[in-house]
Amino acid sequence: MVAFIVRRLLLAIPTLFGVLVVVFLLLYVAPGDPVQEMVGERADPETIARLRKELHLDEPLLNQFAHYTGGVLRGDFGNSYITQRPIIQDIRERFPKTLLLAGSAMLLASILGITLGVLSARNPGGWFDRLGLGVAYLGISFPVYWVGLILILVFAVILRWLPPSGYGGIRYLILPAFALGSRSIAFLARVTRSAMLEVLGGDYVRTARAKGLKERVVIVRHALRNALIPIITVLGLDFGYYLTGSILTETIFSWPGLGRYVVNAITRRDLQAIQGSVLFLSVVFVMVNLLTDLAYAKADPRVAYS
Amino acid sequence: MRRLFLLVLPAILSCGGGGSESSAPQRKTIIDSRDTYDPRSMDPALSTDVPTGRAVAYVFDGLTRFTPDAQVVPGLAKSWDVSSDGLTYTFHLRSGVKFHDGRPFTAKNVVSTFQRVLDPKTKGGRGWPLYPIKGAEDYAASKGQTITGLSATNDTTVVITLKEPLAIFPKLMAMPVASIIPDNPTADFGQKPIGTGPWKFVEWRHDDYLRFARNPDYFDGPPKADSLMARIIPEMSTATAEFEAGNVDVLTVPDEAGKSWQADPEKNKLLSSAPALRFWYVAINTTRGPLADARVRQALNYAVDVNTILSAVMAGRGAVANGVAPPSLGGFDASRKPYGHDVAKAKQLLAAAGHPNGIDVDLWAATTDQSPRLSQAIQANLAEAGIRAKIVQREASSVREAARNGQADLTLKEWWADYPDAENFLYPLLHSKNKGAGGNVSFYSNPKFDALVDQAHHEQDESKRNTLYSQADALQFADAPMIYLFFYKDMYAIQPWLHGFKVPAVFSGQRWTDVTIGK
Repeated sequence: MVAFIVRRLLLAIPTLFGVLVVVFLLLYVAPGDPVQEMVGERADPETIARLRKELHLDEPLLNQFAHYTGGVLRGDFGNSYITQRPIIQDIRERFPKTLLLAGSAMLLASILGITLGVLSARNPGGWFDRLGLGVAYLGISFPVYWVGLILILVFAVILRWLPPSGYGGIRYLILPAFALGSRSIAFLARVTRSAMLEVLGGDYVRTARAKGLKERVVIVRHALRNALIPIITVLGLDFGYYLTGSILTETIFSWPGLGRYVVNAITRRDLQAIQGSVLFLSVVFVMVNLLTDLAYAKADPRVAYS
Repeated sequence: MRRLFLLVLPAILSCGGGGSESSAPQRKTIIDSRDTYDPRSMDPALSTDVPTGRAVAYVFDGLTRFTPDAQVVPGLAKSWDVSSDGLTYTFHLRSGVKFHDGRPFTAKNVVSTFQRVLDPKTKGGRGWPLYPIKGAEDYAASKGQTITGLSATNDTTVVITLKEPLAIFPKLMAMPVASIIPDNPTADFGQKPIGTGPWKFVEWRHDDYLRFARNPDYFDGPPKADSLMARIIPEMSTATAEFEAGNVDVLTVPDEAGKSWQADPEKNKLLSSAPALRFWYVAINTTRGPLADARVRQALNYAVDVNTILSAVMAGRGAVANGVAPPSLGGFDASRKPYGHDVAKAKQLLAAAGHPNGIDVDLWAATTDQSPRLSQAIQANLAEAGIRAKIVQREASSVREAARNGQADLTLKEWWADYPDAENFLYPLLHSKNKGAGGNVSFYSNPKFDALVDQAHHEQDESKRNTLYSQADALQFADAPMIYLFFYKDMYAIQPWLHGFKVPAVFSGQRWTDVTIGK
């Protein structure tokens, strides 16, 4: 187990280096540069040249790359060209907020999605199953920004139960978490349902029922446990996706997370900030994948890592 | 992404009617919703974007400042004299002014502040408002130890000598970048700013909000309200929802929503409009192919139906441009007619220029705001006259870079004035000194036009200066180095419980000092 983790972490190093190279090259060939953004609409060529020199942007690509990689190896992501704040500090301020949002969305999605899926699977073709199917289709089809705006409209503007946007206590968390999780609720419900249906037809479920166990015990302890593997896969993928891709939700709900930070950095061509956050998010993604794999082993004793 | 949001907007706005009747809130904090992204910094030397400029104007003062209706009035300087040759400005400073940390403000602060703005190590990127000062450009290029034209003769007098006369110099001193900071700023000054302004900085939650508290010792009388919060809300529909919920006090009404708000009697009462010093135009690169011919450029102007575009895309919010001098400023000539929509004339001009079968051009446009919709409308108009425009849609910074490097035929642009003067349109956008990065992405070069603008720079008499502006404007208008679209008009919604708020003409012109919140 430990050997497995160590091997996976070592394998992550070339992955991350690859990410670094690709991001660096992409930004280098992409048009636009941070200096144009810093000086605004009115400037003079001398100022632009001086700033490029000051930021080492006039040096050859290889030098820039070596300079940057050297910093990263020392744990220094550098300062933003535009705001002059340390990238690490920016990420440290914003990532916990994204984590909170993504975690809440996943928690909400797991509870609602798995429950819906299990209930649907109990009586396939029944009214609840068909209702669940309808809800799931809606959840998967509606884009997150649409769901977000409708939630704001209904719960914040018309009913006034919750604040429309911003960051604060749990009241501020409910709408964005629901908007972000809505797609997962639907998806998890469908995956849980089909996994459960497959498992419920198994011999051991019949045996469990035959020996007179309560239906609740049969479903939760015998069936659901065995249906967990595909559910974990979906959860792992979605969670990684949420940590890196909650940009739309953060934008609509003015949530001060990392997604918005990255988008701002990209529009301003803030090279250091883009590279730093992409690298950081790649680490997060690798970690989430690793945790997902470890969860497989926990859920299914037949999966063993050595 | 953005355009998809906009499709949903009408739904929000038509259903959300319950909001506007809410009663005055209990809070004492004024809450602004206009910033759509996090300011770059609170350091005046870094104020190159709108949210930064706004916030800097709350915490700091310059020698002069703007009023909401675009007047320039004394700031830290209580008055100033100009020498008869127009070269030397003597600013008489207020005495007894203190920074928020208690240190006194003196003339020396002005000198060190300006040096810092120009110092390449500051990496600010906006030295040009100080370049008219003698020796400033050399200092920025590290060629001098001091700014030769800048000196503090005693604690309350600053003498500034210019390279050449520039009558609008006091207006440049009101720009956020020229705000005065104390000596020896800390390394994180941009995060914890200390100024002399009406509001003390309290807290900055990045991408969330900025909070300020009233400065009770403000030299011009403390603000009437207790505290001020600038929320950062990237999505306009969200800001609108916050306004409807009564959580923010002012809102810039999205263009798409303007008409429905005007039609709603409850909401209409909350609206307040003012001409903004924002100019939409299409820069024509006068050095590229057929565009070098003025007749072709005039044809482009005749081809575009600005009136219809203005009402269809911008909800009629604006005034059709008849040049680059905006209607609200001196130098505007109401008697000059805009080009108008005349397809036959456009075709005729193209044929006369040797292009009976039309021409092919690139039209560069950003992905933000109204650029996509405007560029499509312009493309359709041009096609009617046989001008085949290919839209190149890129992010704003890429568009800017291409235009600056002269790689674009046509570039759709919006120009925000930094100071209220027709010079801020004529000089950067069209003077040959400013080709490329300076703002003249038409690469327009006309010695007669340059001479008129230079002459206006030297002219101390305001009415004579305005005459020169309008002559220069008429001259370039005939040359048509751009497609003249419109001057934008701001539409704000202001909560009924907010009093004393005026829609500012220059983005940094509203400092909330006279605004109160309550019944």
